[in-house]
Amino acid sequence: MAKMIDRQLLKLFIMLDERLTAKTLFYTQYQIYLLDTWGAIKQAQLQFLEAEHDKAVCHQAYRMNVHCDNLDQEIGERQKAIEEKFKWKLKALKQTLRRKNDRNPDQSNEHQTWFKAQEAQLLALKRKRLDRVVPTFHHKNDASDVSQETLRAIEAKEAAILTAKKEKIEARYQRKIESLNLRTEKKRERLTRLNQKIKGWIETIYQRHPKNDYDLGDDIILRLENLTMRFGGLVAVDQLSFEVKQGEIFGLIGPNGAGKTTVFNCITKFYRPAGGKMIFRKSPVDVIVLNDYPVHRIVRQGIIRTFQNVELVWELSVIDNLLVAAHSRFHTGFFGQLLHIPKLRHEEAVLRQKAMHILEHLGLQAYMHAIPYGLPYGILKRIELARTLMVDPKLIILDEPAAGLNDQETRELARIIRDIRDRHDVTIFLVEHDMGLVMDICDRVCAISFGKKIAIGTPKEIQANKAVRDAYLGEE
Amino acid sequence: MDRVMRGINRFLREFKAIVKHPYFGYVFFGMMFLILLLLRNQGMVTISVINTAVIVMIYTVISLGFSLLLGFGGLASLGTAGFVGFGSFLMGYLHGVKDYSLGVTLLLSLCVALAIGLIVGFISLRIEGMYLAIITLGLGEILRQFFISYDIFTGGFSGRSFREFTIFGINFVSGDGRYFNMVYIIVVIMFVLAMIATINIIKSPTGRALLAMKNSDSAAQSMGISLIKYRLLAFILSTVFALLGGMLYIMHTKYSYAPQWNLSFSLEILAAVIVGGAQSIFGIAIGVFLIFGLKISVLNYIPFFQENPALIVIFNGALIILVVMFYPGGLIRLLQTLKYIVVKRFGQLKQKWRRYRYGEDD
Amino acid sequence: MPGIDIAIRQILIVNAILFLLFFIIDIAFFRKKIKRPVYRGRLINVLITIGILTMFVASIKVFTWPLLLQIFLLNTVDLSILILATTGVVLIFKTSVTTNFAQGMMATFGAFFATTVVIRLMAKYSGSQTLYLFIGLFSGVLVSFLLGLIIDVGIIRRGRHVSSVGKQMITMGLVMVLMGAIPVIFGSNPIALPAFSIDVEIFNIGEHILVIPIQNLYAIVITLVVLVVLFTALRFTKWGLGVRATASSEMVASMMGVNTRVITAMSWAIAGGLGAIAAFFYASSGAQVQVASMVGVQVNAFMAAVLGSFSSFGGPIVGALLINLFSSIAPFYDGTWQVVIVYGIILLIVLAKPLGLFGKKTAKKV
Repeated sequence: MAKMIDRQLLKLFIMLDERLTAKTLFYTQYQIYLLDTWGAIKQAQLQFLEAEHDKAVCHQAYRMNVHCDNLDQEIGERQKAIEEKFKWKLKALKQTLRRKNDRNPDQSNEHQTWFKAQEAQLLALKRKRLDRVVPTFHHKNDASDVSQETLRAIEAKEAAILTAKKEKIEARYQRKIESLNLRTEKKRERLTRLNQKIKGWIETIYQRHPKNDYDLGDDIILRLENLTMRFGGLVAVDQLSFEVKQGEIFGLIGPNGAGKTTVFNCITKFYRPAGGKMIFRKSPVDVIVLNDYPVHRIVRQGIIRTFQNVELVWELSVIDNLLVAAHSRFHTGFFGQLLHIPKLRHEEAVLRQKAMHILEHLGLQAYMHAIPYGLPYGILKRIELARTLMVDPKLIILDEPAAGLNDQETRELARIIRDIRDRHDVTIFLVEHDMGLVMDICDRVCAISFGKKIAIGTPKEIQANKAVRDAYLGEE
Repeated sequence: MDRVMRGINRFLREFKAIVKHPYFGYVFFGMMFLILLLLRNQGMVTISVINTAVIVMIYTVISLGFSLLLGFGGLASLGTAGFVGFGSFLMGYLHGVKDYSLGVTLLLSLCVALAIGLIVGFISLRIEGMYLAIITLGLGEILRQFFISYDIFTGGFSGRSFREFTIFGINFVSGDGRYFNMVYIIVVIMFVLAMIATINIIKSPTGRALLAMKNSDSAAQSMGISLIKYRLLAFILSTVFALLGGMLYIMHTKYSYAPQWNLSFSLEILAAVIVGGAQSIFGIAIGVFLIFGLKISVLNYIPFFQENPALIVIFNGALIILVVMFYPGGLIRLLQTLKYIVVKRFGQLKQKWRRYRYGEDD
Repeated sequence: MPGIDIAIRQILIVNAILFLLFFIIDIAFFRKKIKRPVYRGRLINVLITIGILTMFVASIKVFTWPLLLQIFLLNTVDLSILILATTGVVLIFKTSVTTNFAQGMMATFGAFFATTVVIRLMAKYSGSQTLYLFIGLFSGVLVSFLLGLIIDVGIIRRGRHVSSVGKQMITMGLVMVLMGAIPVIFGSNPIALPAFSIDVEIFNIGEHILVIPIQNLYAIVITLVVLVVLFTALRFTKWGLGVRATASSEMVASMMGVNTRVITAMSWAIAGGLGAIAAFFYASSGAQVQVASMVGVQVNAFMAAVLGSFSSFGGPIVGALLINLFSSIAPFYDGTWQVVIVYGIILLIVLAKPLGLFGKKTAKKV
């Protein structure tokens, strides 16, 4: 009985631990996000100030008939607008002339003279307007005798104002950032303290009932031990064991019906394996047994998968699809969501920015707000890949990533998969029928047939292996 | 001068921000309904318009809950009528007969909604699709039988009437003009709150999780969405909305009658959601007006339909068929198409006018 | 009858305990330890069979078998009606993948037509009433048949891209249209249809006396003939093969050269015809023909289809039999709670077997 209570408590504590760790992570991310956004806003404000400064100096300079590029542009724009306006007026006049001619063609000479008069009037008006543009920028008094010193003095004054303003903004942001850092530090400290306490409790429970320590080698992230899966009488996976090393691209191959997808479904707990253990390294110090976790908590352990036939949410835009994948990263409770409290908005902003970065990185920014329905298959596959990156996974499981793609798209995909592995420090585990892709990108390959392992090794070794060839081509 | 201009600009900018805020539309909608009440009190609007407005608002609250279930969760349920009836009888019995205060009644019915939602939610974990729809239909029939037979609670065949309610210590008795106004105001407030709650849920991780669940259970689970949690949540939410609608209903009509909460009511709510557009809040309001409000507010006043009352039913049925056949996404799609056409047509007209005014381009 | 309600209560309690036992075993063992779903399925089947058998045995013990037979015989009209309606619902579900809420209305339309024909004929000519009733039945079935055909060709076929909930809405719109149209066409007064015969046949079996109304015999015979013809057609004709192919996948069937349009149209038409027979018997066994008279039957038909599973044709008929049995025994216990008891039992059974008694699970590939 005590053991059972302890086990339940342990589950609870581990869940709390996960929650707290994620929360701490969120505050850090939010801090970074705010620093980024504030930095951008500050930059924009400063630029605006500088432009204003230039303008102010220019205005004053112009009053003194000193040349200034900035103002020329403004004058040019105004003149252009006037020209445009009169162009349309002239067009309308011509149309009127045409219509008058149509109505009574015999008076065309009179119409011509009328048109000439009107046109002259219009042109005169235009001239007048255009002439009026430049003087508006001049001071009323003619101040051509202003010395260069005065001008310099004005510039100096404006520059002083500018620096003062700039300093004010800097100071304000400095204050803001300081208080943010302080706040975040406080929160983080509090959370860490709580976390320590919970970790202590977990330790005490482990002292009472020592945990089975699996000696997973340092460089190994996933180990299957005698994994078995049966459907009724059919044995789909039979006593399968292998290891996936940290940071490698591992391929699982086999003829149709060999049980590859079943292995995936066991690892992600869609199926409950009939026997065997799946041991996973969650973090350098934390090793867990996947058999103990329900399917929807697997993603929190750092494992995420894609599907053979693309499974996106067709009613949502691409970026919202990425946010769906980040579901486990939201910590606001239901009532918080009902009231849209600021915390939810902050989380959403952080994750949205992250999603944008990922989309940009995979070259999908053009589709950011598109509905995925009807997009090309290659793009959909890439969106699925982008989705896996939303949760900072340790292990990405790809189920036939190249199915349905043409040669060029497959090559592109290979590049992307390698790129993801290098950039995000993840391990990739894939099932694939396209031998070209497997041999190209995989570091190691495991071949299975009828649920049994027949060979494991580098792609070259697998290619040379006779058993594998027999499995694919049949015994000779 | 410059300062004034800047001030005006700033005001305009802020006004724009307010108008663009998602809640603005809903609050504005509510305000319009309140203005309707003012006009009624001035004698400028007939009582049937007000009645239509109340009915549309109450049924929209129910339909919003239902759309969270159907449009987002992808779970069909035909037991709505039973839940709405339950709400109305709870209000009639607890507040009207037992004299519990409104707060206690609300709290108790929230508990009931929670219980019903949990039961149906657990059923939905085992049974899916069309089977679930028919099983919930059976549940609705069970509830109706329960209403008819358990007459201490519901008044049986003679129905349960509701005469007065007390809010903030003020007693409103029916027959008094204030009663009607107060009910109207409460309904408007609940209506606006329900719309805001719905949009908040839709635009949050919960709404997205529900949509993901609708598309594919397995994909949703692999992204960390717990099926149990969100199925239960969807059912509890829809039950809460349905019970709330029932409570408002008995406050407005002052009467609830067991046999009226039958299958055809559930189907009409379903029709309102489908016809309006299952994922759009304003679409649902339009759908509810079409199904429930059109008859009492418009068709009853057209002489042709006055002479042949049977044709009203035919007209309504034909309308549903046509809308579903040609606009499977709901009437809101039709409105969007219309808007698109109008904008396009406007552009064409502008071009035409220009050609007329200025002639062909040289 | 004294003691009967106590005995029925015992039956109900025994069954409730069985279901509880099932759920406890299910949760305690199959979720945790035994990982073989085959055994679980077998256990469910065994438990449900035991439950239903105990119900039979216990009710025979309580009622004595002649009484039970008598109850069954008196309810055969209801049973025929339910079976016909259920078959119609399932037929349409198979080909159009939707639950047809207009099934009852289509049937009522036919019944109204039949009644009008019979009443006109009887007013004009004096002759054998049975002949006129058969003429009426035939004409009603024909009208419903045509109505089904028209509905499919005019509406359902054009709305094929609509989701199944959308199709439900279309059938609901049809209900409203027909509801408005029937009073316009046939007048708004409810009309009564004479029965085939109001006589009763009395048998002596041993020392027991059994009473059968002749009307029920007609109902049984006609239903049996119709069902035999229908099932033969489903099994051996090209149309039957087409229905089965369309049920498994409409797109694949149409690509394989099955004319799914004709199949669907015929299914709607036949469903209408079956419904008309059901409504005709409903009307001729005492009740008046009213617009809403088939609604209750229709709900029961849906429940029967769910109980027996939509995926087979035989299952729903067994479902209809069980529902008829439950609802004919339940009133002896408590008349007012009949619906609650019957639907409660169905709910429990369906909870244990989510796809109905005869449903087969199709695994979704992930």
